Amino acid sequence: MDKKRNLSITKEGVAKTIFALAALFAIVSVISIIGYLLYAGLPAMREIGIFKFLFGKVWSPGYEGAASEKFGILPMIVGSTIATGGALLIGGSLGITIAIFLVYFCPKGLKMPLTQLISLLAGIPSVVYGYFGLKQIVPLLAKISPNGNGTGILAVSLVLGIMILPTVTSLAKDGLSSVPSKYFEGSLALGMTKEQTVFKVMVPGASSGIMTALGLGIGRAVGETMAVIMVAGNSVQFPKGLFEGFMTLTGNIVMDMSYASGIHRSALVATGFVLLIFILILNGILYYVKSAGKTWEKDERRKLRQLKKAERRAQKTPCKVVMFFDRLNDKFIASNEKVKSKLKACRDRVAAKFGKVFNKDGGNRTYIAKNGLYKTLKYICCGSVIIMLAVVAYLLIFIFVKGIVAFRKIGVINFLFGKAGSGKISLAPAFVSTGALILIALAIALPIGICAAIYLVEYAGKSNKFVKIIRLFTDTLSGIPSIVFGLFGVIVFNDALGLGYSLMSGGLTLSIMILPTVIRSVEESLMAVPLAYREASYALGAGKVHTVFRIVLPSAMKGILTATILSIGRIVSESAALLLTAGSVRNMPKDIMSPGSSFAVMMYMFVSEGLYMNEAYATAVVLIILVTVINMLVFAFTPKKEKIK
Amino acid sequence: MKKKKEVEKFDLSQEAIKINNVNLYYGAFKALNNINMKISQGEITAFIGPSGCGKSTLLKCLNRMNDLVDGCKIEGKFEIGGQDIYAPKFSLQMLRKNVGMVFQKPNPFPMSVYDNIAYAPRLYGIRDKTSLDEIVEKSLTGAAMWEELKDCLNKSALALSGGQQQRLCIARALSVEPQILLMDEPTSALDPISTAKIEELCSQLKQNVTIVMVTHNMQQAARISDKTGFFLLGELIEFDDTEKIFSAPSKEQTERYITGRFG
Ligand SMILES: Nc1ncnc2c1ncn2[C@@H]1O[C@H](COP(=O)(O)OP(=O)(O)O)[C@@H](O)[C@H]1O
Ligand SMILES: [Mg+2]
Repeated sequence: MDKKRNLSITKEGVAKTIFALAALFAIVSVISIIGYLLYAGLPAMREIGIFKFLFGKVWSPGYEGAASEKFGILPMIVGSTIATGGALLIGGSLGITIAIFLVYFCPKGLKMPLTQLISLLAGIPSVVYGYFGLKQIVPLLAKISPNGNGTGILAVSLVLGIMILPTVTSLAKDGLSSVPSKYFEGSLALGMTKEQTVFKVMVPGASSGIMTALGLGIGRAVGETMAVIMVAGNSVQFPKGLFEGFMTLTGNIVMDMSYASGIHRSALVATGFVLLIFILILNGILYYVKSAGKTWEKDERRKLRQLKKAERRAQKTPCKVVMFFDRLNDKFIASNEKVKSKLKACRDRVAAKFGKVFNKDGGNRTYIAKNGLYKTLKYICCGSVIIMLAVVAYLLIFIFVKGIVAFRKIGVINFLFGKAGSGKISLAPAFVSTGALILIALAIALPIGICAAIYLVEYAGKSNKFVKIIRLFTDTLSGIPSIVFGLFGVIVFNDALGLGYSLMSGGLTLSIMILPTVIRSVEESLMAVPLAYREASYALGAGKVHTVFRIVLPSAMKGILTATILSIGRIVSESAALLLTAGSVRNMPKDIMSPGSSFAVMMYMFVSEGLYMNEAYATAVVLIILVTVINMLVFAFTPKKEKIK
Repeated sequence: MKKKKEVEKFDLSQEAIKINNVNLYYGAFKALNNINMKISQGEITAFIGPSGCGKSTLLKCLNRMNDLVDGCKIEGKFEIGGQDIYAPKFSLQMLRKNVGMVFQKPNPFPMSVYDNIAYAPRLYGIRDKTSLDEIVEKSLTGAAMWEELKDCLNKSALALSGGQQQRLCIARALSVEPQILLMDEPTSALDPISTAKIEELCSQLKQNVTIVMVTHNMQQAARISDKTGFFLLGELIEFDDTEKIFSAPSKEQTERYITGRFG
């Protein structure tokens, strides 16, 4: 008896240790990425000098050791900054206004298709965006450009703007939806119109959510690589105008990495390190904004401030003020006695004021006049949606029309499944390589991610410090640009472990990239499993491990499936990291130790060689179809909102 | 029925449950105050009292479900069959196997009827199909629903009605032949007909199982229990034969409660 008990106790202990180690994995990953990039970038920073490296105006790698070699990344820093600014201007403003439309002005039947369309946009691979930019936006810009050159800051800003739009929209939407609806009702009860309420009460109320959305948009834009190099013009110089070629930090890394060696290579890694530090700082700021915006005390103070504002406004708009305060009294702030009494005093003052001047229509005039402004804002929101729809339609029609023509020319069966080799182009190797990459990445990330999620939900208490730290690191990991993962993969898997360009190395890199997605969606689905199931199992004498594996995990199967599909989506659209780690060959991989190109990498190679435009279009069609299917699957498996609560 | 791994049983013949000077804290909040109580084998004991007075808390102490609550601290002694169930070396599995529990809201696992009942036997090492079939039939018969369910053992338990689900949960608890069954307001979420069925079931189970039941329904306590304990604000005000409690309570608070003047 005793022995058996000890046995089960050690079993529980071992399991708990394994889960905890898995949870630690995210922290270890982030720290090793920082560590290895620093380690491999340090020689360059030392030799060149940090100041000369960061603020040097010339980047000219030459023969190794030649005196003419110069590694200054200031032009790229400036290029990345301006391009990101432009993207933010375009994608940020569109994204926020679209989010406002979706949350407040969208007709019911449109909401779901639009939301799905936006998540589809988020899934389209960057090479497809880049190709669209190269083939359509650049020629269009060339027509209006004074120097006849379409590439440059404007093209990059437009492409990046479209690319960050889904990120900004969906996060801003979350932020807006989290503003309590009582503000909305309260404001309507005051007699404000819906438009006024949205723009004066709700949008300011969601400011921290909107900041987060913009912040993540910045992160996405700064880290984007493949789309940028297709439209930037890629000359290493300071961006001199909207239509002059320039280079970003990411672009420089991916363009040079394939042949660089010695100090040059180290300088590229150091560039990645600079990028990483920037992203970490950005994440830190966002983390601060998020946690600062939430404390209860602040919320209460904000409510009070809004009340004061309402009072001031009430002097100009003798509408249903008193009623408003009465409603507020039992809905808005019932939590705090002190605030409640202040509120009551406020209400009485207003009531006294309007006891005399209250009349039904008189005061409404100023008010309706002002509403014109907010009506305009609303139309702007609608306009943004129309712009987005137009762009999406343009992109899809362009790719599909060209793609179908291309397929006709090169033959569907031949192109998809034909034998690749000496001069013959086929996607068959991409099917195999992509599949292998998915399998390797999932085989590693799924078990680790599931165990980590189990630890976070089932073992660690809710307010546990360790959990908070792990969450912070998981968020950080998910914000790191893929080019940085690529560099890490090159340093650790390709070089240190000696895997070289290989599917294995690519798969390992991908597994770290998808880990945050897996952890988060499994975590959510574990939390959705009712406590009652666990209780019932414990009450029958089952231990924790038994309960987790027999009751909790089977109930969370859908979430695990969602995590898998989401990860596959990420892998399918990835290109920068794979280009660096798994190589870009066009033939069939022999085994997982040989190099191989996924669809996205294959498409990039078609474009960059300039010889296979038809093949590129056809691959783009394949990619978009894949992404759409994945999106639909995710949608089908995600539990509906009402259920979560 | 022969099991491979027989977990030992409590010897309840002398005394089933003994609760001695128990205080319980949830963090700083004292939820139970100096509780003393003795329960004998084969009786049905009912806990009554207004909501929030600590009935469920005390009940959960008896199979140590409070171990799962953060910040829960227990002072005093719980003995079952003379053994201190909070002793450091005491086996939680042995305790929970012999002290079953039925919850307020029916909580069948999201599996088939059969798997729900076979869950615990499998946990205790029974793998062969015939033994499991036997247990399933026996447990469902025990919960008076074999006739109802014998043809749909593979149906999902979640497809059953609320009353059926609750009786399935009782059958699930019976699957490991517990000596004591704890029931926390087992009928409060059910319709009157299902309630009657479960009450009838309790009276049948009494022959083999010692039952401790929390109920908010005083008629229910009066109808089926042998002993009744009345709780108020974490204290056990009065504990006596049910007949006595409902006809001639010795404390004024008890009388006021059962005549419906507070709570
Ligand atoms: N997990 C818990 N944490 C903190 N307080 C609790 C917890 N469970 C119950 N309580 C408190 O203990 C008291 C008794 O609760 P409970 O035993 O559920 O009452 P009853 O079942 O008699 O309605 C209540 O005041 C309740 O708020
Ligand atoms: Mg209770």
